[in-house]
Amino acid sequence: MMRRIFAVLSVAFFGLIFSSLAINYTERQSLRPLAASYVKLVPQDLGAPNVITGILLTYRAFDTLGEVAVLFMAAAAVGLLLGKSGQGRRHSPSKISDRAKSSSEIVQSGAQILVPLIGIFAAYIIMNGHRSAGGGFQGGAVIASSVLLLVLASARYQIDLEFFSVTESAAGVFFVLTGIAGLIFAGGFLDSRVLPLGQFGAFISAGAIPFLSVLLGIKVGCELSVIIDRFRA
Amino acid sequence: MTSNVVLTTGLALILIGMWGLLTHRNILRIIIAFSVMGTGTHIMTVAIGYVTNGTAPIIDRALNLSEAPVRAVDPIPSALVVTAIVIGLAVTAVMLAYAIRLYQSKKTLSIDAFTESKW
Amino acid sequence: MAEMIGSVLILLGAIFHFSAGLGIFRMPDVYTRMQAGTKASTLGNLLVLLGLGFFHPDWSLKLLLLIGFVLVTNPVSSHALARAAYLIGIPMTRETQVDVLRGARKRRRETT
Repeated sequence: MMRRIFAVLSVAFFGLIFSSLAINYTERQSLRPLAASYVKLVPQDLGAPNVITGILLTYRAFDTLGEVAVLFMAAAAVGLLLGKSGQGRRHSPSKISDRAKSSSEIVQSGAQILVPLIGIFAAYIIMNGHRSAGGGFQGGAVIASSVLLLVLASARYQIDLEFFSVTESAAGVFFVLTGIAGLIFAGGFLDSRVLPLGQFGAFISAGAIPFLSVLLGIKVGCELSVIIDRFRA
Repeated sequence: MTSNVVLTTGLALILIGMWGLLTHRNILRIIIAFSVMGTGTHIMTVAIGYVTNGTAPIIDRALNLSEAPVRAVDPIPSALVVTAIVIGLAVTAVMLAYAIRLYQSKKTLSIDAFTESKW
Repeated sequence: MAEMIGSVLILLGAIFHFSAGLGIFRMPDVYTRMQAGTKASTLGNLLVLLGLGFFHPDWSLKLLLLIGFVLVTNPVSSHALARAAYLIGIPMTRETQVDVLRGARKRRRETT
């Protein structure tokens, strides 16, 4: 009873604060000064049509590196909580008979159609990060969803944990190395002007932003796939 | 007007998530309430950056280079939310891993059974 | 005129989405909830995308591809969930009369 009263009181209290926020909110008519300077600077200095990816991978790139570290920590936490020792993982595939754990035909047929489409779509999102909506994080999440579909569809698909871990670490190392190259050859850490800017809106343009997007997409995709694989029985 | 509606929806989702968080006893429902609260926060953050009659901050057919600083929507909240969504997925995965281990230790999913941390 | 048709379709889609949520709330057990949720929300998706096609006729091909994608993925995922729920032993309500997978739990236990 006390618990219920406490819940009602705290939700009512937050409701009061939120309603005062919502009532006093008026839409802005023009951009704030920092946002206006970003919208002007990103196409001009970095050569990237997508302002958001330009912000995420050059002007606020250090925050992106921090987010990548948070993802790594989450993957390590899931690995710690749910990982079996090496002996448990080695022995279980031989005991599962194929018929018992196989999925139904509908899921297998669906996976046969969908996994190539999802893979192409993920590559498209990652590579078009600098030209239209997209980027590394979103594409990585889509890669992880295709791995999830593969894991669900076929019982004998064991993802190669070594390969994913090595790929993910290598992508992270190259990300930081590109940042250090920015420190030596261009304006600062993770400055994307180490590579030539190219033509505005072309496929290969905007300096190192496509390269960083690909590395980010690989890292996020491998990390989320490893997290999903840990949840297998 | 549109961003008022979106902002109110986001704040309402945060309140609903908070209510579900404090009331339910089943661990999985608490995790779903966390997820609802996270979605509400993302919607609210994106709604704050709206400029009247603005469009997405991407230079293409809909937005010229010259009129971009006048008609574009604020890109900074969108940039923050883009990574926040993926981080929310990872944090939900950690919470679910905790739920699995808690169930393995006491065979029940109600948080009333776990009283070791209560004073 | 086209905008009127589009708005009516989007409103119908929203009504179906609401009924999906209501079904998830009120149905007695897991299987009926999944059925209500998937069918109604897939149809709601279809109607909203069709209504959007009336507002922007030059997006029609992309919207048709989206509709095809939704039609392939939603039923497959809910089928996988419902099958997994049956095979780990979640009970059905008493009013259920047809049980297509009746021997599947025993067959799974024999072969494991």
